[in-house]
Amino acid sequence: MYINRKITRLSCILAGLLLGVAVPSVAQDGETIFKQNCAACHTVGKGRLVGPDLAGITSQRPEEWLIKWTRSSQTLIKSGDADAKAIFDEYNGLVMPDQNLPDADIKAIFAFVASKEAAAPAATSAPAEPATNASNHAMPEEIAQGRNIFVGSQRLINGGPSCISCHNISYKGIIPGGLLAKDLTTVYSRFGGDAGIQGILGAPPFPAMTEAYKNKPMTEKEIANLTAFFNKVDKDKAGQQVSAQNPLLYGGAAGFVVLILLYSLIWVKRKRFTVKRDIYLRQLKSI
Amino acid sequence: MDIRSQIAMVFHLDKCIGCHTCSIACKNIWTDRKGAEYMWWNNVETKPGTGYPTKWEDQEIYKGGWEKNGDTVSLKGAGKFKGLKNIFHNPHLPVLDDYYEPWTYKYQDLFTAPEGNDQPTARPVSLVTGEHVDVQSGPNWDDDLGGSPDYARQDVNLDKLTAAEQEAMFQLERMTFFYLPRICNHCLNPACVASCPSGAIYKRGEDGIVLINQQRCRAWRMCVTACPYKKTYYNWHTGKSEKCVLCYPRLESGQAPACFHSCVGRIRYLGPLLYDADKIEQAAAAPEDQLVDAQMDIYLDPFDPEIIRQAKENGIADSTIEAAQRSPVWKFVKEWKLALPLHPEFRTLPNLFYVPALLPTMAKVNDGVYDSTGKSLWNGVESNRLPMRYLASLFSAGNTEKIVAVMKRLMAVRTHRRSVTVGDTSREEAAAALEEAGIDADTADAIFRLTSLATFDERFVIPAAHREESIEMLESTADVKGSTGFGFKERPQRGL
Repeated sequence: MYINRKITRLSCILAGLLLGVAVPSVAQDGETIFKQNCAACHTVGKGRLVGPDLAGITSQRPEEWLIKWTRSSQTLIKSGDADAKAIFDEYNGLVMPDQNLPDADIKAIFAFVASKEAAAPAATSAPAEPATNASNHAMPEEIAQGRNIFVGSQRLINGGPSCISCHNISYKGIIPGGLLAKDLTTVYSRFGGDAGIQGILGAPPFPAMTEAYKNKPMTEKEIANLTAFFNKVDKDKAGQQVSAQNPLLYGGAAGFVVLILLYSLIWVKRKRFTVKRDIYLRQLKSI
Repeated sequence: MDIRSQIAMVFHLDKCIGCHTCSIACKNIWTDRKGAEYMWWNNVETKPGTGYPTKWEDQEIYKGGWEKNGDTVSLKGAGKFKGLKNIFHNPHLPVLDDYYEPWTYKYQDLFTAPEGNDQPTARPVSLVTGEHVDVQSGPNWDDDLGGSPDYARQDVNLDKLTAAEQEAMFQLERMTFFYLPRICNHCLNPACVASCPSGAIYKRGEDGIVLINQQRCRAWRMCVTACPYKKTYYNWHTGKSEKCVLCYPRLESGQAPACFHSCVGRIRYLGPLLYDADKIEQAAAAPEDQLVDAQMDIYLDPFDPEIIRQAKENGIADSTIEAAQRSPVWKFVKEWKLALPLHPEFRTLPNLFYVPALLPTMAKVNDGVYDSTGKSLWNGVESNRLPMRYLASLFSAGNTEKIVAVMKRLMAVRTHRRSVTVGDTSREEAAAALEEAGIDADTADAIFRLTSLATFDERFVIPAAHREESIEMLESTADVKGSTGFGFKERPQRGL
């Protein structure tokens, strides 16, 4: 027993030492990081998705600027960088999520981008591939399924949370959803069609969403159905009469008031003060 | 007939001097812990007074005890439906201020205060928050401020008296008080047990001690509401309710509970009573004026051969039956009919009985001369210092006949003993008093002996606990043979 315990303790210390040494030396290669964090919105030499094609970017911008932008584009824009502002406006004010990565990783990404450019210098920055939006021809059942997935009446196969817990969509018959994340009513046009939506859903780049779907990815079928649904919502939006009222909020407030009234009625005869109150107050008076 | 054994108690109030030694003995053993500072499993109240917690007797405030409901009884403030209704907010619970906020003093300030023009003082600090407090009240402020309009005049039992009777009680020449020590009554029909939603409270089969299982308690605090005597307490630190355990570890080893053992006035008696568990419901639901008699009928004569036979059949040990025969409680309660339960109208059938205090001598002022009212000590029950109706409100659910009978018996014993030892009352007078009280001289002598001269073993008759039998019910002792007994629970620092 004694010896066993000592061995366990020793091996714990050793393992701790090894880990301590090992952690900083894990060198992620640029390609893996790019695929995990960037590929949802960017390509290298394959045209525009949600964000710009990154081909040639390393020669256009200094590395320092690229790191700053990647870390937090909004900070850069607010600091008054004209280029950054121009790019932001060009992409309809679509915010690139902040990437909280160490400098080494960001450098690795751009090293990978640079190597990719060298291998296949497409250099076609202007004409994006014509979007082939399959969801334009989606079946009504697919749209319906997408809607069910969104509101949560159909569970995601891998157990991820349903969209409505964080997102809102203003659409007929859908109760107001969460306010934790962006409103998705016009997400389809904002993200530039199928490719954008599917990129995001396939590998969510937003920190909270990444965490929520880390081990519970959506299947392709689910993504396709959701895309079809977002497409439909976006199209129908023009003819939508979105009511400004939030029935859940007002209903909840009214219910709260009713409950409070009910409780105060039930306990109208409750003991409100300590039994000694009169005694103590009289004694205070007599001082 | 379902015969069981119950450890019962008698407190002789004539002998209580209100020294609170019992309370301190209990506090030192059981409630000197964080979260339990405010609890007094044993407390001594001054009567007339408001008690601890304040006005605990007023069940319109605290909703404790049982209510008669046809042929049976139902809980006044707890139980399935009422409990469920209030399960997340129980408005009838006493709050800490209804007891008192426990405090200590910052004695260190007396030593560490910097030099100055004034004497350093030890300020009171709360034992709950650690902050300075203005002390508002303590557990026995009835005692310290006895007779004041704040305490004595707010005694709940005074409501049963007419305004004139109340006024008379507070005239200087009539003014009186007595002490009322209280512990858990270990009732036959305990409201706390009935109210517990977790089933954590139980009444021990072998001796009827009511205990709270600290593992199963889920802090619903329904017992605090349900106990009309307010003798279950909630420990805010452990999140469990606690109550008097009648020092069962001491009882199991043949010792009297700490409060009994330490009592300097020797007012306390303890011993088993045999009772018929089948009659409990019927007795608890008796009409109010018959409650005392109905409860007395439950207790069975331990000398009756038929009772002994059935008791043995029911698994009661010979040692317990023998103890029941020697029990001082049997003598005070059943044989001599001197002791009465406290507030039987709560219908819990309490097993702590009180011999009421005899406060006969009274004074009057005549033309500026202060004199006693009568020629002798005893001028009839009407001139007792405490109105019979007041005592009846405490000890017999308003039945004054019961109180008058007890008072006559107590006074007869005193008259008889005075004629024997002092000689200032004649033999005839004493015999007449005994005759009126319905006892003979031998009984009076026996009462006198057990009241005044009783030895330790006469006051406390504790049957063997037979723990070995309880353990055999739970597990086979052969299974643990060799794994318990002498040895080390923790490895010694050296050796082995």
